[in-house]
Amino acid sequence: MRAQRLFVAGALVVALGAGGPAARAAERIVSLNPSLTAMLMALGAEDRIVGIDDRSARQEPRLAHLPTVGGLFNPSLEAVVALAPDVVVLVPGAQQRDLRARMQALGIEVLELPNITLEELLASIEVLGELVERRQAARERVAEIRAAFEATERAAAGRRPPRVVFALQRDPLYVVGAGSFLDAMLRAAGAINAGAELGGPYPQAGLEWLIASAPDVILDASEDAEDAASYWSRWTSLPAVAKGRIVAVPPAEVTLPGPYLDRGLRRIADALRAPGATP
Amino acid sequence: MKVVSARRVGFVTAALAALLALCVLLGLAAGPSEVGPARALAALFGADPSGPAADIVWRVRLPRVVLGALVGAALACSGVLFQALLRNPLADPFVLGVSGGAALGGILALSLAGPLGLGYAAVPPAAFAGAVGATVLLYAFAGSRARFSPTQLLLTGVVFNAFASAGIVFIASVAGLSEGTSIFLWLIGSLSSVRAEVIGWVAAFLACGVGCALTLARSLNLLALGSESAQQLGVDVERDQRIVLLATSLMVGAAVSAAGLVGFVGLIIPHLLRLVVGPDHRVLVPAAALGGAAFLVLCDTLARSLLGGRELPVGALTALAGGPIFLWLLRRQAQRVLGS
Repeated sequence: MRAQRLFVAGALVVALGAGGPAARAAERIVSLNPSLTAMLMALGAEDRIVGIDDRSARQEPRLAHLPTVGGLFNPSLEAVVALAPDVVVLVPGAQQRDLRARMQALGIEVLELPNITLEELLASIEVLGELVERRQAARERVAEIRAAFEATERAAAGRRPPRVVFALQRDPLYVVGAGSFLDAMLRAAGAINAGAELGGPYPQAGLEWLIASAPDVILDASEDAEDAASYWSRWTSLPAVAKGRIVAVPPAEVTLPGPYLDRGLRRIADALRAPGATP
Repeated sequence: MKVVSARRVGFVTAALAALLALCVLLGLAAGPSEVGPARALAALFGADPSGPAADIVWRVRLPRVVLGALVGAALACSGVLFQALLRNPLADPFVLGVSGGAALGGILALSLAGPLGLGYAAVPPAAFAGAVGATVLLYAFAGSRARFSPTQLLLTGVVFNAFASAGIVFIASVAGLSEGTSIFLWLIGSLSSVRAEVIGWVAAFLACGVGCALTLARSLNLLALGSESAQQLGVDVERDQRIVLLATSLMVGAAVSAAGLVGFVGLIIPHLLRLVVGPDHRVLVPAAALGGAAFLVLCDTLARSLLGGRELPVGALTALAGGPIFLWLLRRQAQRVLGS
C-alpha cells in the first residue's frame, strides 16, 4: 500500500518536475548523478548521454570521453548550457535546488529523480525508460529487482533475524538508517537494521551507540584501506566480532542507488546468511 | 593588579582541578547508551572487563574525555598566551591562522586519502604538519624584522586564514560527496576520531606549552605593559615572544590535528577566568588549562549524549555556548570601563 503510494508520488515527480518532457523522448541528456548515469547505461541509452558529473565519469570508464560539468555539489551551469541538452537529470537536494531554478530560467528541462527509497529508485528506472524510449528494458529491470526482493524475503522467512549494523563510512561513522533502499534490502534479507532507530536514511552514529546496540553482523561498505575484519576486531565485546561476522561489501556493487539493486540485494543476503548454512 | 600569593594560586588551582574532576566523572558516567553512572562505575572498577559496558567506559568514553581535556587545556592555554603576546584580549589562536593551516593540511590529506589508499589515519598527522607550516610562515613573514609587531602578526594571520579557507573550499569543491561530509565535520570540530597516538602528541605538546608559559609567566605579566616597558624592566622581549609563539603553535597544531576546528575555547575560557582570578599569568595559565579542559569535557559529554546515538560535533556546541558568553563578556567589560 505504502509502496504503491510512493510509486505514484514518483510518477508525479515526473509530471510536476519536468512539465511533461518525459512523454517526449530525449536525445541529448546531461546526467548530474552517478546513480542516474548508471540507470541510463543499464537501459542501453549510453549514446544519448552528452554530459556527466565528475563522479559519474570516475564510475563509468566507458563515458570517459564525455565532457564533465562539475561535481555533485558544484556543477557548472555554463558547461551544462553549452551542451544544449534536451533534459538534465538530477537527484534533488539542497544544493541542486538553486541550480534547477537557474537551468529552468534558461529554458532547460530538468528532471528530478529522488534516490533514497526503493520505490523511488524503481520509479526512476521506469521514468528514465520512458525518457529514452526503452520502456520494455526498464520494465524488465524493475521486474527483476522486485522478483529478487520477493525471492530473498521467501528465503529469509523463518530464520532468526540477525541484528545488523551496515557501516557506510567508519570515521566519522555513518550507517544505514531507516527508509533507504539499503534498509529495504536488509529487511528483505531478514535482518533487523539496528541503524533504523537513529532516524534518517544515512545517519551519523557514535561508537558508543554501535557497541551498545550489540550487532550480530557488521556489514562494512567503507572505502578505507584497512581490512574490515581487522578494523572492527578491536571491539571485542561486539557479538559480530566474537562470531567472526564482519563482512566487507563492495560499495560499487551494493551501495550505489543504481539499476542493479537485485545484485546488491544478493550480496547482502549472502553476507547475512549464517556461516555454514545452506544457501 | 591583584597581589598573588602562593596560597591563592593553590586555592584557584585546587578549585578548578575539582571542577575538572567533576566534569571527567560526568563524562565517564553519561553517554547515549544505557550505561549509566552505576554500570559505568562498576565497569571502571573491573566488573566484566570484556563486556560492552567496559568497552564503552574504558575504550569509548575515557579516551574522548582525556582527549577533550587535553584539547580544551591546549586551546585555552594558547588563548592566554596569544592574548598576552598581542596585548589584545580578543586575540585567539584561530585569528592567527595556525588553525587554518592545520585544517588545510588535514583536508588535503582527506581528499588524497582515497586515491592514495591512505585512509583517514593520514589526516591528523597532515593537519599537524599544516599547523607547523603556518607557524613557520608566520615566523618568516611577521618575525623577519628585528621584532614582532603585533599588528603585522595579526595581519599575517588574517591573510593566511583567508588563504587557508580558500584552499579548503577549493579542495572541498574538487572532492566528492563522502569526503564532503567528513570535511564538514572536521571543520566544525569533533572529538569522535580518538586515536591513542594523537592523545600522546597532544599531551606532550600541552606539557611543553604549559611549561613554557609558567616559566615565562613573569615576562608575560610585564609584556602586558607593552614591549618597550617590558624591555626596560629586564625582559628579553624578542626571545620570550618567539618562545611563546612557538609553544602556542605547537599546542594549537596538536589540538586542531586531533579535534578539528573547535572554536571559542581559546577566547572564552581565558577571558572568563581573567574575570575570576585576575590577569596575573602565574594564576591565569594553570587556571586556563584546567578550566579549558573542564569546559571541553563538559561540552563533548553533551555533544555525544544529547541526540541519542547520533553525535553533534562538539565544535558546534562550543560555538553555540561561546558566542553569547563572549558577547556578554564584551558588554560587561564595556560597562565596567564606562562606569569606572
